[in-house]
Amino acid sequence: MKQNNFYRGRLLLFLFLLPCFVFAQNTISGKVTDESGQTVPFANVIVKGTTVGTTTDIDGNYSIDVPSIPTTLVFSSLGFATWEETVTVLGVTNITLKESAQALDEVVITGLGTSIKRENAANAVSSVSAEELVGTTAQATVDGALYGKVTGVNITSSSGAPGGGFALRLRGVSSINGNNQPLIIVDGVYYNNVEIPSGLRFASGANAGNEENSGNRLADLDPNDIEDIEILKGSSAAAIYGQRGNAGVIIITTKKGKRGKTKVSFSQDTGINTIQNRLGNRPWTRESVQEVFGTDERIKYENTINSRGELYDFEDIIYGNDGFITETRVSVTGGNEKTKFYTGVGYRDEEGIIKNTGFERLSLRANIDHTISETFSFSSNSNYVRSSSSRSFTGNENEGGLSYGYTLAFTRPWNDLFPDAQGNYPNNPNYPGNPIFVRDNAKNEDDNNRFVQGLSLTTKLLNTDKNRIKLITSGGIDYLSNETYVYVPETHQAQINGQEGFIGVGKNNFTQFNSQAIFVWNHDALDNDLGITSQAGLTYLYQDADAVLSTGAQLAAGQTNVSNSVNQTIRQTLREEQDFGYFGQVEGNYRDQIIATVGYRLDQSTRNGDPNELYGFPKASLALNLANFDFWNLDALNQFKLRGAYGETGNPAGFGATFTSLTTANIGGDIGQSLLGAKGDPDIEPETARELEVGLDVGLFNSRISLEATYYKKQVDDLILTRALPAASGFTQETTNLADLENKGIELALTADVIRGERFSWNTRVQFYKNQSEVTRLDVPAFAQPGAGFGTGLGTFFIEEGKPVTQLVGNIDGELTQVGDVEPDFQMAMSNTLTLFRQFDLSFLFQLKEGGENLNLSKFLTDLGQTTPDLETPEGQARLETPANAARFVEPAGYLKLREAALYYRVPSKFVDRVFGDNVESVKLGASGRNIFTVTDYSSYDPEVSVNGGAGLSSGIEVTPFPSSRQVYFHLNVNF
Amino acid sequence: MKKTIMNITKLTLIAFSLAIFSSCTFEEVIDPNGPSLDGVQEEASKGQLNELVVGIEATKRNGLGIETTASGTMARELYLFDADPRNTGDLLGKNGIGLDNNSFYSVAQWNGNYRCVKNASILINAANNTSAVTAAEANAYTGYAKTMMAYELIQVLKSYGMARIDIEDPDNLGPILDFGPAMDAIRGMLDDALDDLNGAGGEFPFSLSEGFSGFDTPSTFAQYNRAIAAMAAVYDGDGSGSLNLFSNSYFDIAGDLNTGPKHIFGLGSGDQANPVFRPASTEDNPNNGDQIIVHPSFIDDAEDGDLRVENKTAERPDPSTQDGLTSNFESTLYESNVSPIDLLRNEELILLFAEANIIAGNLGVAQNALDVIRISAGLEAKDYGGNPTSEQLVDELLMQRRYSLWAENHRMFDLRRYGRSNTLPIDRPGDQIFNVLPIPLSESN
Repeated sequence: MKQNNFYRGRLLLFLFLLPCFVFAQNTISGKVTDESGQTVPFANVIVKGTTVGTTTDIDGNYSIDVPSIPTTLVFSSLGFATWEETVTVLGVTNITLKESAQALDEVVITGLGTSIKRENAANAVSSVSAEELVGTTAQATVDGALYGKVTGVNITSSSGAPGGGFALRLRGVSSINGNNQPLIIVDGVYYNNVEIPSGLRFASGANAGNEENSGNRLADLDPNDIEDIEILKGSSAAAIYGQRGNAGVIIITTKKGKRGKTKVSFSQDTGINTIQNRLGNRPWTRESVQEVFGTDERIKYENTINSRGELYDFEDIIYGNDGFITETRVSVTGGNEKTKFYTGVGYRDEEGIIKNTGFERLSLRANIDHTISETFSFSSNSNYVRSSSSRSFTGNENEGGLSYGYTLAFTRPWNDLFPDAQGNYPNNPNYPGNPIFVRDNAKNEDDNNRFVQGLSLTTKLLNTDKNRIKLITSGGIDYLSNETYVYVPETHQAQINGQEGFIGVGKNNFTQFNSQAIFVWNHDALDNDLGITSQAGLTYLYQDADAVLSTGAQLAAGQTNVSNSVNQTIRQTLREEQDFGYFGQVEGNYRDQIIATVGYRLDQSTRNGDPNELYGFPKASLALNLANFDFWNLDALNQFKLRGAYGETGNPAGFGATFTSLTTANIGGDIGQSLLGAKGDPDIEPETARELEVGLDVGLFNSRISLEATYYKKQVDDLILTRALPAASGFTQETTNLADLENKGIELALTADVIRGERFSWNTRVQFYKNQSEVTRLDVPAFAQPGAGFGTGLGTFFIEEGKPVTQLVGNIDGELTQVGDVEPDFQMAMSNTLTLFRQFDLSFLFQLKEGGENLNLSKFLTDLGQTTPDLETPEGQARLETPANAARFVEPAGYLKLREAALYYRVPSKFVDRVFGDNVESVKLGASGRNIFTVTDYSSYDPEVSVNGGAGLSSGIEVTPFPSSRQVYFHLNVNF
Repeated sequence: MKKTIMNITKLTLIAFSLAIFSSCTFEEVIDPNGPSLDGVQEEASKGQLNELVVGIEATKRNGLGIETTASGTMARELYLFDADPRNTGDLLGKNGIGLDNNSFYSVAQWNGNYRCVKNASILINAANNTSAVTAAEANAYTGYAKTMMAYELIQVLKSYGMARIDIEDPDNLGPILDFGPAMDAIRGMLDDALDDLNGAGGEFPFSLSEGFSGFDTPSTFAQYNRAIAAMAAVYDGDGSGSLNLFSNSYFDIAGDLNTGPKHIFGLGSGDQANPVFRPASTEDNPNNGDQIIVHPSFIDDAEDGDLRVENKTAERPDPSTQDGLTSNFESTLYESNVSPIDLLRNEELILLFAEANIIAGNLGVAQNALDVIRISAGLEAKDYGGNPTSEQLVDELLMQRRYSLWAENHRMFDLRRYGRSNTLPIDRPGDQIFNVLPIPLSESN
C-alpha cells in the first residue's frame, strides 16, 4: 500500500478551500450512512492517489468529480473505519461506513500540540484503547487495569485493599528519592496521583506514612471514561515534557462526543471479591502444642477441640469475606457539526475481602467540543468525583495490635476472640489486639472530593494552501480535597505510650494548575511532498498542598470526635512549587517515507537549588518507512519501519530538598527548636535522563500480523539520592546529586489477527520485555537506602556501584551480601480475543513474571508466633533454627497469572428488534474475572507486594499486606 | 474578518511576550514548614536562643527508650516483648546471629544522642555570634550547652565504647575516639562549661523545664555540671581525682536519694512520652503486647526483702512467653507515661562515691556508702566478716548498682568495664552475650 498520505485533518482544511477550483469532469454522487442508517455528515471523500476530494454535507450527501473511471474513492470520518470503494460507473454510489473503536489508535502524540500517525512514529509508544482497558472485565482503577497490556511497564500492587495502591514504573527505576511515578496527564490536565497518609502510624506504631497502606489517587479516575491511553515510556518519547518527564508520561484522553445520533448506553456490572490465595493455618496437633507452648496452652487447645470439634480459622474469619461489587454506568453522547458532547455517570461500590472494607466512587463527567467559528474552537472536559474508601489495618506496625497479618501471626487458633452476648470482646492473650474487635470497631477511612477541569481554545490564525498556523491555549485545574479518619476505640487492647484510644482527622487540600500556549505552524513544501510541522510554546505548572492532621488520644468513652480526647496534636505540612518551561519542535514528513523530528525544551523549577536556572532537554528522532519507498516491492510486507529516537528529560528534587531546617521540639509546655536532621542541598540540580531508543516495526499482510521491536538504553545522570549521613554530625540524612544509573532493555510486541470473520475471529497479542539496571557511578561509599526496608539485618535496598539499583542486601554472618534482586528477569503477557459463533466474545489475558525476588518478612513474624503453615514439617522446623537474616527470608517472586478472562454474548440484533423495537439498539451479557489464578513459588498471599507504598524503591518487601482478591463479575450492557 | 484575526494574533503575541518576561523569574523559596538553620547561626535573637535551649532539653530524650531496652536486654536485665522480633533475637545473639550496625537498636541511641549534641553545638555557635546577648548571658548559654553535650557523649561511650567528639563541621567530622581519649575530652568540656557558668552571673537568661527545678541558676546548674564531672572521672578510673568533685555537686550521703535533674515527659503537641513506661497488667487485663519483662535472674538473685525489687517489678497474672523466653514478672519502674526519668540522682552519686573510694583505696568510706544504699532498700548493713577487701566491695558495688539502677542503662556498661560480661546467664542454647553496640554503618559514610 503505497500512497502519498497527508494528514487527514490537514486535507480536510485543504478541501474546504479548494472545491471551487476543481473543474467539472465526471461526477459520482451518493449518500454516506452508518450501519444504523444514520447519515454521516462531513465525511471525507477522496479520489485515491490524488488530492481531489470533497466532504459530505449535513445530510450525508456528496458529489465528486473524478478524472476518470474506474476509480477508487476513499471515504473516511472520525470514529469510522476508512472505506475504499472502487467505482466503475458514474452516477449514484451509496456507502455505509462501519464504526471503529480503533480509529483513534491511529494517531499518537509526539509533542504538546500535535499528533502523528502511528505508522510514522519514531518511538515505541504504547496505546491502550478503551476496549483493551475495560473491555474484558470491570476495573476499579486505571493503573490496576494496565497489567499485561503495555510493554516496558512494571506494576506493583502495594495493597490488595479495594481502591488499590499501585506503583507504575516505566522502563525501570528512573529515580530513587524523587518521583519515579510517571507524569499523568488527563485531557491536558496534570493529574495528581499522590498517596496520602492518614496518620494511622501514630496508633499502629508504623515507622512512616508510607507504611500506612494508603491508596494512590489515580483511583479517582473512572477507567470507563477513558477513550485511549498513550504511554511515553522513555526520555526519547517524553523529552518535550522536560523536567517532569523522567519517569515517562501517561497521556489519558477521555471519551468525546461524536456527530450523529445521540446514543445512550447503560451498563451494570455485579461481582464478588474473594481472597485469591489462602495460606491455610498450621495443622496443630496436641503434641506440637505441648512441645511449643507447654501444658497450659495444650489444655486450651484440647478444650477448644472438645467443645467445637475444630480450631478457629482466623484467616477465614478475617480475610474470608465475600465482598459484593456493583458498578452502574450511564453515558449519553452525541453532537452535530458544531457541538459534540459526552456525559457519563458512573457509580462503583465495592466491598473488600475483609469485612467493613470497601471503595466507593461516584464520577460525573461532561466533555464538550464546540466550534465557534472557522477561527475558534474550544473543548471543555469536566469531571467531578466523590470517592471514599475504608481500608482497615494491614502492613507493618509496632505494637499497635491493629494490622491483621501482624496480629494473626501471633494469634493462637484455640482462643475464642468473638464477643460475648453483651458485646464484650475478649483480649487476645498473645498479642495486643483482637483482630475481630479491630475489624468491627476500628476505622481507617478516607473521603475525596475532586474536581478536574480542562479547557482548550484553538485559534486558527492563518489558513493558506501552503501554510496553516494555529494557536492552542489550554489550561487545567485539578483540585483535590481529601479527608482521612482513623479511629481506634479506647477499649482497644494495645495502648501505645499508654494512649487509650486514638483519633486522627486529616484535612488535605491539593491544587494543581497548569497552562500552556502553543503556536503550531503546518507548512507544505516540495509540491506537498514534504510536510513540516513546527511548534513553539510555553508551559506553566503550579502545585500546592496543605495537609493538616489533628490527632487525639485518651478518648472519652465511645466518642469519635477528636475534641473528645486529651492528648491533642496538630501537624501541618505545606508545599508550593512552580515550574516554567519553553519548548519548540520541528517535524518533517517526506512522503510518509522519512519522518524526522528535532525539539528542545528549557525548564526552570522552584524545586531546583536555583529556581531561575534553565535546564535544557533536547530530542531528535528519525523514522524510515521503507515500505513506503518506491523501490519496495514486497507487497506482503506492508510496513517495514526502522526508527531511532534520542531524548533527554529531567526530574527536579523533591520539595524541601534545598532546605536545612529546624523543627519544634517541646518539653514541659515550652516551645523549642531542634535540628530536623535532614541536610538540604541549596545547589541541588535536577536529575536528568538521556535515552536512545531504536526499533523496528513490521507489518505483514496489510498489518494483519505486526511486530514491534525496541531496544533502549537510558542513562540517568546526577541521580538525586537520600543517603544516611554519619549521625554524629547531627544530620541523619542528606539529599543531593550523587550517582548515575543505567537502565537498558528490550520490548517486543507481536499482534496477529489469526482468524478474521463474522462468525469466527481470533486476535492474539504477545508481549515480552525486560529491563536491567546498574548504578554506574556513586560518589559516596555504598549505602543502605533509608526507608526502603528494615536495615541490613533483615535485608534492604542497597545502593552500590556496579550493581542493580534493585538489589537486596543483607548482613549475613557479618558480611554484606546480595541476597536477591527485585527486578524480574523478564515479563510476558499474552492476550487473546475470540469471536465464536458470531454472537460470543471470549477473551483472556495471561501475564508472566520470570525471576525477581522478594523479602518475605511476614514469615519472620509467623515463625516467631509459631503460626507459619509449614511448621509441622521438618523443613519448617529446620528454618526456625537458622539465623533470622535476609538470606532466610528471600524468596523467588516470579508468577504466572490469569489476569483477566471474559465471555460475552451479544444478543442478536433481530431478537433485540423484535423484543424492544427501535427503543434498544443492542444488548450484551457476559461474565468475567480478574486475578483468576496465580501460579507461583512464593509462599505468601501474592508475590506483588510493597510494604512502603508506591514511592521510591519500594516493591518487593513484604510485611503482612492486605491479601489480593479475585473478582468475578456478571455484566449487562444496553445501548439505546 | 481577516483584520480581526490579525488583531487577535497581535494581541496574543503581545500577551505571550508579556508572559515570558513576567513569569520566568521565581522568588527565592523559603521553607514554609520550619525555621532555617542559617537563621540562628548569625545574629540570633534571645528568643531564638531560648528556643534552642528548650530544644536541647527536649532532644536529650531522643533514643532513650531503645537505649534502655537494648542495653537492658543485652545485660539480661529485661526482655522487650514487642512486635519487633530482633529484640529477642539479635540482641541475645539467637542462633549465632551477630549484632547488625544498621538496625534500629544500633542506630536509635546514637542518632538521638548526637541530635542533642548537635543542638548544643548550634546553641554555642549562635550565642557566640550574636549581639543580642551580653557576655555573661553568652556564658550562660554556652555553659549550659557544653554541660548537656558532655552528658550525652558519656551516654554514647557507655553503649558504644567509643565516641566522636569533634562534630563541629558536618562535612569534616573528627575521628571516632577510643574510650580513654574521648573521656579526657569530655572532662575538659565539663571544666570549660564550669568556667562559663562561673562567669554567667546570678540568673540564667532562659528558663528550663521543671525537670531542672533546683538546678536552674548558673550556680545550681554548676552542681549538676560537677556531678557529671565526678561520674566522668569515676568512669575514667580516676578515683582520687573525682573525690573533690563530689563536694561541689549535690551529692549528699545523708540526703534524699532522688535529688537531681530529671527528664520530664508530657503528652502535649511536640512533647514526648516516657518511652520506658509500659501499661501494667491487671488480673482481667494482662498486658500481652508491648511489655518490658523482668529477666528471671533479677528476681532470683535478689536478697530477701530488697524493696527495690518490690518497687520496680510486679508479678504478672500469667507468665509471659515469647520466642522461647519466659518470665513471671513485668516492669513497674514508672507509674505512668509522663513519669520523669532521672538524669543523675543522688542515689547514683552515692554509688559513684563508693566506687571512687574503692579505686582510691578508702575502703571504709566505700563500705559505708554502700551500706547507706542497702539500708535505704530495706536491707541491713552488709557483714563482710571483718574488713572487706577491695574485690568484695566491687562485688557489692555491682550488686547494689544492679538493683538501684535496674533498667536505667547501666548494667551492660558496668559489667563491661569490670570485665564481667561473661558472668551473665544464657537463656537459650545458641544465644550469645554482647556487651557493646556496634558503631552505626553510616558513620563510615
